[in-house]
Amino acid sequence: MGALKLFNTTDAVSRSVLHMDLDAFFVSVECLRDRRLSGRPLIIGGRSDRGVVAACSYEARTFGVHSAMPVKLALQLCPDALIISGDMEAYSRFSGMVTEIIRESAPMFEKASIDEFYLDLTGMDRFFGCYQWASELRHRIMKETHLPISMGLSINKLVSKVATGEAKPNGQAQVVKGEERSFLAPLSVRKIPMIGKKTADFLYEMGITRVNTLCEMPVEMLEAALGKNGRILWNRAHGIDNSPVVPYVERKSISTETTFENDTIDVKKLRSVISGMTEKLAFLLRKENKLTACISVKIRYSDFETVSRQSRLSYTSSDRVLIGRALDLFDKLYSKRLMIRLVGVRLSELAYGSYQISLFDDTEEEIRLNDAMDRMRIKYGASVLTRASSIFADPATQHADTQELYKSF
Amino acid sequence: MKFIVSSSQLLKHLNYINGVITTNPVVPILENFLFEIEKDSLTVIASDLNMSMITELEIDCNETGSIAVPAKILIETLRNLPDQPITVSIDLDTYSLEISSDNGRFRLACENALDFPKVPEVSNASSINISTEALANAITNTIFATSSDELRPAMTGVFMKLSETNTTFVSTDGHRMVRYRRVDVASDEESSIIIPRKALNMLKNSLPAENTNVNIEFNPSHAFFRFDKIRLICRLIDERYPDYENVIPLDNNNLVVIRKSDLLSSLKRISIYANKSTNQVRFKITGSELQISAEDLDFSNEANERLSCMHDGEDIEIGFNAKLLIELLNNLQSAEISIKLSEPNRAALIIPKEMGDNEDILTLAMPVMISSR
Repeated sequence: MGALKLFNTTDAVSRSVLHMDLDAFFVSVECLRDRRLSGRPLIIGGRSDRGVVAACSYEARTFGVHSAMPVKLALQLCPDALIISGDMEAYSRFSGMVTEIIRESAPMFEKASIDEFYLDLTGMDRFFGCYQWASELRHRIMKETHLPISMGLSINKLVSKVATGEAKPNGQAQVVKGEERSFLAPLSVRKIPMIGKKTADFLYEMGITRVNTLCEMPVEMLEAALGKNGRILWNRAHGIDNSPVVPYVERKSISTETTFENDTIDVKKLRSVISGMTEKLAFLLRKENKLTACISVKIRYSDFETVSRQSRLSYTSSDRVLIGRALDLFDKLYSKRLMIRLVGVRLSELAYGSYQISLFDDTEEEIRLNDAMDRMRIKYGASVLTRASSIFADPATQHADTQELYKSF
Repeated sequence: MKFIVSSSQLLKHLNYINGVITTNPVVPILENFLFEIEKDSLTVIASDLNMSMITELEIDCNETGSIAVPAKILIETLRNLPDQPITVSIDLDTYSLEISSDNGRFRLACENALDFPKVPEVSNASSINISTEALANAITNTIFATSSDELRPAMTGVFMKLSETNTTFVSTDGHRMVRYRRVDVASDEESSIIIPRKALNMLKNSLPAENTNVNIEFNPSHAFFRFDKIRLICRLIDERYPDYENVIPLDNNNLVVIRKSDLLSSLKRISIYANKSTNQVRFKITGSELQISAEDLDFSNEANERLSCMHDGEDIEIGFNAKLLIELLNNLQSAEISIKLSEPNRAALIIPKEMGDNEDILTLAMPVMISSR
């Protein structure tokens, strides 16, 4: 038995994982930028008829508004709500500030999304209590950025995330080791990450509303009902989650898409929108000192049929090359004479590097012009200037709901 | 029809021209060698429609006729046969060829020679003579820098420009360029052609070791190379070659002189630490020191080295693709090289210090834009 003690297995698996989540992040940032907004029902999302709610304040939530809901519906629920179209750049700047503070303090962290972090604090309780340390970090973030943030501490990512959810808004919680099951048991199944509306409805039909009920079911029965996910769900209900905190997730692609207020067939306008979106992505690429080797263009017709096409390139970040290729792809793609609802551009296969200047295609003037344009964009914001060809042909579409998506997978 | 030939002799000649044959030709007949027998001479032709190569060897025969023989089977048979005189019998009625050897008999199904495309003639041609040594040097110095981008056909070949005083060979892939000039080859009339890379590769591999003369005849559409018993005829790339003289900077006054082997081995080490897909390295030249560095942010790898050099000019930081630079340096045969720079976003000239008697070599590399950190 003495030998076994050396490899104290229970100790090896006993981790301390902290989950931190900025409360109503986009809303908090907007309130910071304009004090008058705080305390009011706020909706961040597209202003157009087809916009969806990207985020909303707690005040708006009391009216039943939630994210991913059409803005139109949200306004019916809460007619006094203020709609803000949102400023991705500002959000990522604030997110960066928080990330920096965490990077400075934490031994290992994972940025799960723009407003969510997992920190692996395993081993730190030997020096000072993990909870004490985490609590100090949380207060430091709030003091330095003035953004409200909630946190949950437990032995794994799953339970910590649920704990954060329970602590919100602006709170903190700890689930002591061994208490995971009793913590989860009384909660609604909806609280478990991965159970969306669909799965929840399915479980309700089976008479399962509390996590406790889920726990007591035989795992085989869940597997029979939900397939492979059944076992994962059962594990989660028991508070079992072995997924590690992954230190750094590289962004594998950047993309953007635009949904038109009214479906359009105007090729000139479509080309101009695509050119503008590509220009924006190319700037983002250069700002992060990256190059792309693959570009794809997507269109969704008014009947929701979605088609996309991609093309390989030699590593580049040049506006001229990328816009040219995007328009080529669009011309090949747009074969039906049907109205278009949405267009998207995506750059993937990213690699660190700077643009290789070409002997014959780039003139010195062009290189200097692009360089000067980028400097201005860095100083005054990405939308400060653009190519004339990228200015939307129809001013009405300027309100089109453009969303940038950052994907890591 | 029958003839006797040495198996190794035949194989040697077929090997010269075998590279012309592509694995999946447009017309199936091009998977064959065309054998043309005329008394004591056997002419073998391989073609891919864009180029044809012809070799001649002496045989023992007193008849005349031609047949198309499957290249792959024939070459493999000869490769695996010990050196010996073999008897080849051809039956023109059934289109078959039979090889009789000490080891046994091999029968190949052949095809009608009439189906084999005609080798084009070069009419109204200009003609120059060049030594095999000069031609081989010109090819090795330029061919590596050609582009593989089929969308820009002009750059997939080597540009050859004849003038009254010299002949210039140019290759570029849009990011680097080589200009190789020889003063011992000239022509009374000015003309220029773009020779496809494949033809030059085939030439390079079949040029004899001993220095002889290569005769080149060309018109705007075709070029015809002739040496020893080998002839090569190729279609030229009918495109406008980029204006290369215009991109050669004249005012690069920031001069660095450095030992080529030092720079090359340093680059090879540093590039291990650069991003594998972009291969970018950074040169920082301060005083008489060249610092080369690279980092791969994905893996947090980084490296830097300091080399001493002769430097005359302002301090400068400039980025390059190490892979392109290594290839460029590998092909320069000089102990020392000079690098002439102007600005971080303008072309760098790399020139060997020592060159052959009749040679003038100039190479050029475009930098990558580096962020000033």
